[in-house]
Parts: sequence; structure tokens; C-alpha cells
Amino acid sequence: MSRKPYQRRVYWNESTMSWWERFYLLEILRGLSITGGVFLRNMGRWITGRKGALTTYYPEQTRSDYAAHNRGKHILTQRPDGRPQCIACNMCATVCPAQCIEIEAAFDPDDPAHPKHPSRFEIDYSRCVFCGFCVEACPEDAIRMVKEVPDLPSGDRDDMWFRRDDLLGWMPRSDVAKSYPPKPDATGGGRP
Amino acid sequence: MPEIFINGQPYEADPDQTVLQVALANGIYVPYFCWHPQLSVAGNCRICMIEEEGRGVDIGCNMPVKAGMRVLTESEEVRSHRKAILQFITLNHPVDCGICDKAGECVLQDYHYEYNGSPSMSGDPKVRSTKFYDLSDRIVLDNERCILCSRCVRFTHEISKSHGLGIEQRADVSLVRPSTDGSFRDDPYSDNVVDICPVGALLSRSFFYKARVWYLTKTPSVCPGCERGCRIDIWHRKPEWQVQSLDTGENTAIARITPHENSEVNGPWICNKGRDLARIFERRRADGAMLKGKPASVAEAATEARRLIKAAARPVALVSSWGSNEELEAFRASLGSMFTALVKPDHLPAAGEVLEDDLLIRPDKNPNTGKARELFGTAPAVIPADADLVLVWGEGCDFSKIPAGARIILLGSWLAPENGHADVFIPVSIQTERSGHYTNCQGVVSGFEACFPRAPGVADAEALFAQLAGAAP
Repeated sequence: MSRKPYQRRVYWNESTMSWWERFYLLEILRGLSITGGVFLRNMGRWITGRKGALTTYYPEQTRSDYAAHNRGKHILTQRPDGRPQCIACNMCATVCPAQCIEIEAAFDPDDPAHPKHPSRFEIDYSRCVFCGFCVEACPEDAIRMVKEVPDLPSGDRDDMWFRRDDLLGWMPRSDVAKSYPPKPDATGGGRP
Repeated sequence: MPEIFINGQPYEADPDQTVLQVALANGIYVPYFCWHPQLSVAGNCRICMIEEEGRGVDIGCNMPVKAGMRVLTESEEVRSHRKAILQFITLNHPVDCGICDKAGECVLQDYHYEYNGSPSMSGDPKVRSTKFYDLSDRIVLDNERCILCSRCVRFTHEISKSHGLGIEQRADVSLVRPSTDGSFRDDPYSDNVVDICPVGALLSRSFFYKARVWYLTKTPSVCPGCERGCRIDIWHRKPEWQVQSLDTGENTAIARITPHENSEVNGPWICNKGRDLARIFERRRADGAMLKGKPASVAEAATEARRLIKAAARPVALVSSWGSNEELEAFRASLGSMFTALVKPDHLPAAGEVLEDDLLIRPDKNPNTGKARELFGTAPAVIPADADLVLVWGEGCDFSKIPAGARIILLGSWLAPENGHADVFIPVSIQTERSGHYTNCQGVVSGFEACFPRAPGVADAEALFAQLAGAAP
């Protein structure tokens, strides 16, 4: 049985470079002159006290015109009395693709409308990907992302964990819609 | 053997079975809340609706098998009944799954998504009731979540026989309440009601708000609390959910313990002592070998122990009744010929502990005494006065009974004042760090697996025995 001779399939077109381009070294020098020219121009402006590149010198400088829907740093919203609105249900921690949220729950028997609350709520900004899933997953509007992103970088990974009180307090928000019903009758059941 | 037809397929049935049992035994799932394989039929949740062709819909858990009967488990009528019943069951359910420890393993949650899926049709406010009612110092009851299936009540009447729970009042203000004589508080099996509760109404204090259940995984194990050797599942954090910033001790901690259902030993039940094994395992560990109280490496301590064993004229070994079958056999193979081996009870019954009952609890509070006695004889653990070397493996040795001149080699796991008195102390691994088997009082062998990595600086007893015998360097 005869076999068809093997022919390599061609997926790409042939290059159409001119001789000048194929000579390589001269094209390299041309490319270097473009980037070098930009570098020298920016450097010259910087030396004479003007702003050269369009990039921002983050974190010393931050943009003032972030879009309103920019997903920046997280805040934990506050209840009317200043405690976290969070119920420590761990939905945000569960949905987080970077698994960078860790919550320790605590029980408050004296607060029947809010018996479970976070005694610790920590986000690792060295791993956070700012996807906003935590905000979407939250059933209580307890975690939000605001457009600003201050104080994120650090020279030490351990310093990039943001704790509960930082998240609650760095930009306090407490316009929660939840109502807090009165404590039920201590003797047992009954209609409201 | 009557033959019945479920969804058109013929199935062999036992005459005293119900249709629900036949369906479940043949892999046809029928939802149920109040029915439990080990409890009597209550028939109050009404979710296990099955349609008998030509006769209409009735509950499957109380439908006796008749030869040639034809039933449907997924007909349109059954589905609409289930949906209506779920609407009724969730009428006053608070749906506070976010703060409910049962969420993730809750049957009501599963059934809602599987069979209902629509929000409540009721516009009335939900009946509010007691939350966090202390049934005992171990169990919290949330009456709002309770669906009054009465499984817990039937458990205390039929299995534990403490008659500790009942239902008070009626209609939508019914409440599960403990009996006033405190018999539920003293029920040594009370925590089983947490497992059999189909919703999050009964919750364990020791697991309360500790972790969401989907962060946990279970490892099959054996309870070392008594010679019954009940099979258990030890729940601990999944590797992908290990915490980094919170208390990292949680990563190697026992979150909770549940029965590992089996027909040979303990069925679906365990006693409360089995739930509290963390109190035994999570005592402060001995973390380094010692020579007369001075820190040493395990290798140095093993060398010194080997020297003592070689030099001894009348060595005696107190063998642990907490050792696994594998460890006990390794001891006999390596050191059995050198020592007069006596089996020692590591744990004696604690004050106030239930000694024995007709359900599970046995008087010997050690898991493997039977196997140890089979290998090393039944002589009592009395150290002869002329012993010049005593090897103590495990806990429960009274050091004042050791002859004054005798040298002591101690293999222990937890911090104890005796550790420093021994000439050689070598820390060994605990049950949650190794795998093995125990043989229980009925002769049934049950295996346990390692949940956590071995603590640093701790030896594995099975390998250590060969080392002490001089086989390995």
C-alpha cells in the first residue's frame, strides 16, 4: 500500500522584509534611536523640572480621575453603631479566586439581629486581583470597593494584609439598608 | 419476595419494607426529612411523596410494599406536592443560611434548589421564635430554623433512651424543649441529634461559628475513647483552605468529629466522648527528645536508649494499649524477645464518666487492649521489683511504682512532668498523625488514616522500635 509523501503544512505566510530590514543590525540601531530619543527627551524634561513620561510615579502620585466604577481598595461598611455590617458568612472568602480573604467569626448572644460577626477580617493585597467578586457575592452589602487605591504597596508581604479595623475605618461608610428588628420574646415562640 | 414497579422498573422488595426503603436501596432518590433508617416512622414532614398509580399520592416512608404495586417517584403530581410542601416547610424558616453552621450540608437547602427553587409565596411576616436556646452546655437550639421533624425527639426516646427531648405547644409555635429533669443534659449520646437534624436547628457548641463546612474535609478514623472503637470522621481544614493570617494552628486542628456510618461497629452513632477527642489529642505536645530532662535529638536519645537496653539484665516494657495493631506487632518483632512485656491501660475511666451501657460505651477506656493482650499476654501491669530497666510506652504509668534503681525509657506524646524524670524520653506521634488499625472488643478491625503531618521533632513509634533494637543506625 502506497503512502502519500509527508508534506509539512504551512500555516503562515512568507516574510516580505526588504534587504535593508533583513540586514538586522541597521534596524536594531534605528529602533534604539527611537527609544533612546524618547528616553533622552524625558530625561531632559525631568532634569529641567518638567514632567516627562505620561506614567504616574505611583505610589507618591495617584491619579485623581479614576472612573467612578474603578475597583480599588475594599471597605467594610458599618452598622449604625459603628460595628461591621459583615455577618462573617464567608461568601466573599469562598468566591475569591485568589483566596486572599480570611475571616474569623465570633458569636454575640446579646445581639439577636446580628449574632455572627467577624472578629477578624483580613485581605491580602499582595494576592488580591481586584476582580470584585467579593462585592458581588456579599449578601449584606458589607464589603465594597471604592475607586481609590491608597497605601497598597509595601516592601514586605506581611504588611500587605489589611485588617478589619483598617478596612472599616479608612473610609467609613454606613448607609446600610438593613433594619434591625427587636429581640424576640425570651420565653420562646410567638407571633410578632 | 414481592416485586414492585418503581417508575416502571421492577424491583425485588422485602415484605416488611416500605416503598421509600426499596427506592433508596435501589438508588432511586426520594427526598425525606423526618424519616431516618434507625428511627421509627413519624411521617410528619410529608416530603417523601410517592404516587401509587390508580390510588393517588401518599408518603413513601409509611407506604408498605404490596406485590405488583406500581409507584412513581417523579410524576408531575409528586413534583407539585413536593414543591408545595417545601413552601410550607420554609413558611417560617428564617433562611439565615449566611450565619447557619449547617449551610453547605443542609438537606433543606439542597431540597430547595432541587425541588422548589422559587421564593416564598407567603406575604405574611415569619413567626419569630427563640434563637440560641441552650438545650445543654453542648447543644444550641434555634427554634426559628426547626422544621419539627421530631428526629431528635425520637432519638432520645428510641436510641439513647434518655427521653430528654419533647415538643411543647402546637402549630407554628411548637418548640422542641428538653425535659425538666435534665436527662438530656446527662445523655452521653446527645450530640447525635446535631448530626441527624436535617436543618441547622441543633448546633454543636464546640463547632459553633468555627468554620464553614465547605472549608473542611473528613478523614476516616477510629475513636480511641473505649474498646468499642467506633468509626469516626475527623473533620479538618482542606489543604486549599489553609489560613495564612489567622491562627495557623487551625490548619492542624480537629474542627469536629462525626460518626463514620458503618454496620459492623457503631451504626450512625457515637457518644459525646468521641466528639471531644480534640481534648485528648490537642493537649500540649512534647516536642523534643530529652536525656534526664536535658534536650537532645531523637537520634541521640535512641542511641542512649539502645545502650541502656543492651546493658539491662531484667528489662520490663509497659506496652501501650493505644498502640495500633501495626505498632504492637512492630514492638513484638523488634523488642519482644528482649523485654518482659506487660500491657498497661493508658487511660482509666475519668471521674463521672459513663462506665458502660447497652448501646456503645465499654468499660475499658483504651482502644486496643484486646490486640495488645493477644500479643503480649494478659498479665497485670505490675512491674517486678527486680527490674533494672523499664520501657514505658504511652501514658498511664505511675512512676512511683517503678523500682528505685531502675532506669526509665519513656515514649510519650504529650507534655507531662514524668517526661523529665525519665533517663531517656522520646516523643512519638499521635493517632491523628499516622495511619493504622485497632481491633475492637468484638474483634472487628477498623483503620484510621493520618489527618495531619507529623509534628516536628517527633518520632514514629513503629520505626523507632526497630531503631531501639539496633537494627537500623
